[in-house]
Amino acid sequence: MSIELFIEQLEALAQAASKAFSEAADSDQLDLARVEFLGAKKGRLKSLQKNMGAVPGDQKKTAGMKLNSVKNSIQEAFESAQSRLSSTSGEGERDVKFDATLPGEAFHVGRLHPITQTINELKDIMGRLGFTPAEGPEIEDDYHNFEALNIPRAHPARDPLDNFYLSVAEATSGNDSALSGNPLLLRSQTSTVQIRVMENTQPPVRIVSLGRVYRPDTADWSHYPMFHQIEGLMVDENVSLADLKTVLKLFASNYLGDEVPVRIRPSFFPFTEPSVEADYYWDGKWVEFGGAGIVDPNVLRAVGYDPEKVSGFAFGLGIERLCMIRHQITDIRYLFTNDTRFLHQF
Amino acid sequence: MIVSWNWLTEYVDLAMTHDDLVDRLTMSGLNHEGTERVDNDQAIDLEVTSNRADCLGHIGVAREVAALYEIPLNIPDPQPATCSDSISQLCSVAIESENACERYTARLIRGVKIGPSPQWMQERLKSLGIGIVNNVVDATNYVMFECGQPLHAFDFSKIKDGKIIVREAKAAETFEAIDHRTYQLVPGMCVISDSENAVALGGVMGGADSEVSETTVDVLIEAAYFDPLTIRSAARKLKLHSPSSFRFERNVDSDNLDWASRRVCDLILESAGGELLEGVIDAGSPPPPRESINLRYRQLERLLGIEIPVDFIAPTLEKLGLVVESSDEQSVTAVPPSWRKDLTRDVDLVEEVGRIYGFEKIPDDVNVPMSASYRPKADRVIDRVRSVLTAAGFDEAVTPSLVPQPWSDAFTPWCDSPPLISSQPMLGVLEEYSHNIGTVNLLRRSLVPSLLEVRRINDYRSNANVNLFETAKVYLPSNQQEIPDQPMKLALVSHRDFFAVKGVVEALVKELNPLATVQVNECSEVLLDASQSGELWLGEQRLGWMGRISDSAKKQFGLRADAVVVEVDLGVLEHETQLIACHANQSPFPPVTRDFNFIMDDEVRWASLESTVRSESGPLLESVKYLETFRDEARDGPGKKRVLFSVVFRSKEATLTGVQAEELCSRIISNCTSAHQATLVG
Repeated sequence: MSIELFIEQLEALAQAASKAFSEAADSDQLDLARVEFLGAKKGRLKSLQKNMGAVPGDQKKTAGMKLNSVKNSIQEAFESAQSRLSSTSGEGERDVKFDATLPGEAFHVGRLHPITQTINELKDIMGRLGFTPAEGPEIEDDYHNFEALNIPRAHPARDPLDNFYLSVAEATSGNDSALSGNPLLLRSQTSTVQIRVMENTQPPVRIVSLGRVYRPDTADWSHYPMFHQIEGLMVDENVSLADLKTVLKLFASNYLGDEVPVRIRPSFFPFTEPSVEADYYWDGKWVEFGGAGIVDPNVLRAVGYDPEKVSGFAFGLGIERLCMIRHQITDIRYLFTNDTRFLHQF
Repeated sequence: MIVSWNWLTEYVDLAMTHDDLVDRLTMSGLNHEGTERVDNDQAIDLEVTSNRADCLGHIGVAREVAALYEIPLNIPDPQPATCSDSISQLCSVAIESENACERYTARLIRGVKIGPSPQWMQERLKSLGIGIVNNVVDATNYVMFECGQPLHAFDFSKIKDGKIIVREAKAAETFEAIDHRTYQLVPGMCVISDSENAVALGGVMGGADSEVSETTVDVLIEAAYFDPLTIRSAARKLKLHSPSSFRFERNVDSDNLDWASRRVCDLILESAGGELLEGVIDAGSPPPPRESINLRYRQLERLLGIEIPVDFIAPTLEKLGLVVESSDEQSVTAVPPSWRKDLTRDVDLVEEVGRIYGFEKIPDDVNVPMSASYRPKADRVIDRVRSVLTAAGFDEAVTPSLVPQPWSDAFTPWCDSPPLISSQPMLGVLEEYSHNIGTVNLLRRSLVPSLLEVRRINDYRSNANVNLFETAKVYLPSNQQEIPDQPMKLALVSHRDFFAVKGVVEALVKELNPLATVQVNECSEVLLDASQSGELWLGEQRLGWMGRISDSAKKQFGLRADAVVVEVDLGVLEHETQLIACHANQSPFPPVTRDFNFIMDDEVRWASLESTVRSESGPLLESVKYLETFRDEARDGPGKKRVLFSVVFRSKEATLTGVQAEELCSRIISNCTSAHQATLVG
């Protein structure tokens, strides 16, 4: 046999082997192909190797080198096919006792309270609009909760029955702390934070305050004596209702994830003039968003600002309502019972 | 306020559609809450804000409509005929309590015939859902809903000596109202009395005795101004809320008393006959004249953000009842009407002009200047706290700030002073099985009892593996003059054991400051088990407390299984927090690790053993790791334990030699032996 023919046969074998290995769809097929080409007794490489004896003596060395290189390339092709298949089906025997469909080890990630989630989201949006979070005390004095907010003595909001006025244990001999001096109470709105911030900061001011507020409503599906508010305040030169409307529209659109129309209509709050109620248009109807307005000049004066030089807007929203609408919660009391099955939903 | 469409047409021409009208009213301040058809009328429910008492009558609403649509407003001018006898001969009014009643007017009609009121009046009242009584009472109601001024009609024969005295209620005075219930009056309430007894509770409700009935012949008509605060507190104390008290609480128009009185007399004469006596008794004083307000036009643009045509401004104010005194290119000066006590400053007029012009014309896409906000440290710390705790499997709870006495007393580590007491309790916040635990009126000094209650609720509902945390303020009383201390705390309640929970606290502290370590001192809190508890410290600062709750506390809070609780101060955590971590060079050389096994007394605390191990090891000691404790009384004797720990040495300069390591180890052994009488095993 001429060396040319021998080499030709070797190359044809290499090609056929490589094709068979790469076409093997699973390890069984690959194994069949391995036996066919690389089988130690009857493999096609083995049989071809026998032909080497027929190659003329002076060409045996060349033929041997070619045989080796083809052998290596077939081996490589086999190994690569093997690794291709093993990456999908794995090595070794399938163990029927291992049931991969069993559930994984339970791993509970704790849940943030839906109110916190709502607050975080609102704070985040306001942060992007340039409003910095501000904190204030929950126990307030009459001055910051009412007086400085332009709520006069005779205003119904100050009624002792509508507020959590406070006293210390020693002073409970029936005297009504609510009617004397500058009594303490649990704040009935987060607007108190406006006053405390403005008392200590010069304009421009852009803050958002969040937190617990208190009004003595008996708890029912829609009321709770403690709830949360978010309140935004912006004071600068020439801040107008147009700025308010613009910020509220960005706020609502951001929160609802879609551009929504916002409208403002006249309302009444002692600490703003003009006062407005803001609504956003959602699901084919106007939904109440919250109260807002231009900071009343009396409030600006109470904190030492000149209402001729600066103006500002403020708005306040109830967190529970937003949270309940967002998560379709039907009873406000669920929020404060803290049943873990309730909490795990959010 | 319910408004009848048909009734409104008496004052304004309603050429617009219903929908257009209610939209315009909503957008100008009278929010439309709904409309119901009543026979062939429409009852339109409008929300009237507390500053707009003038819109608690049809004329006020009609005035708004006239201003919005720029159409004429027609108000009747009642001039009832009188007979020659004068009221002053038969009746007198004395105001003894001027604070409660600024002005009181009375007219007298003789010889009425009580019967049904006219059909048209009944229909209008029915549209509003007002009950029909008779031609006198219906007329007083009608005029109230027409102009917002409550009126009262007395059966004059029941007014002894024809004397009306407006005075404060006496202590222990009782009064039988029209609803035939007897009310206990207290000083501060305003009473209308005859020469002997109270005949009405001023502005709130008439008396049963002087009520107009079928036998009534002579009628005394009261039109008065009562002080809002007096009316409100009386109505509230007696739980007697009426359309009258509602209006007086919001300030009626004292200038309009005479119109309302003439109007109701006119209607009564028309439907019940009789004769009106000449004159009116007008006691007290009329309100002082209103001061004019100057509105600078530039204020409109400055506060509304839109330019309003100058020729819109003065006519709008006039439509709303203001009397324009003067105007120029810069401003307008006008006197507000008596029924708009809410208008006193230029900014009030800015709102008036703006709302009639239309807030919908204000743009929502102006350029608000940019401003960079920042997140305060406290916010960032609390976010990290929450993410560590949720990662550790804890759910967040939110519980009320007020608690009942037993919870308030259960755990008070932060403060010895008694809790602050609220004047009002929180109602409806307790679960059914906790109802009889006490009034929820104390400001909590710890979050732990509230979380134990949450744990109990979850136990009761068979919720497993309850691990909860809350971050909230506690309220620590101090000097009464100042605002009490209200620090933020973090509390945990867990089903896991002491060390599992301590691990969470340690991980939390490490997350906030990688270099900080929590130390534990003994504590003696009654809520906590005496051994499995401790006071937590971060360096020189007290962080808080943790422990397994004691058996008696378990019983008190109705828990079925153990609970480990933690309460720490967020302020201390915030103070210790390193928001930006710093790099330290890591040694490239391999460590040498040695395990130790010492026998020592049970009394020896790990913290003190560890500190001995660290004491003289210098910079080559990298870490000390506790492995385990076990006891073998047979071999080591009673009161002894074996503590296993492992120490890692490493140098930053070179690979440690065996000799160096042995030297360090023998120092540790000798120090432990001398400080704790510990014996090395093996």
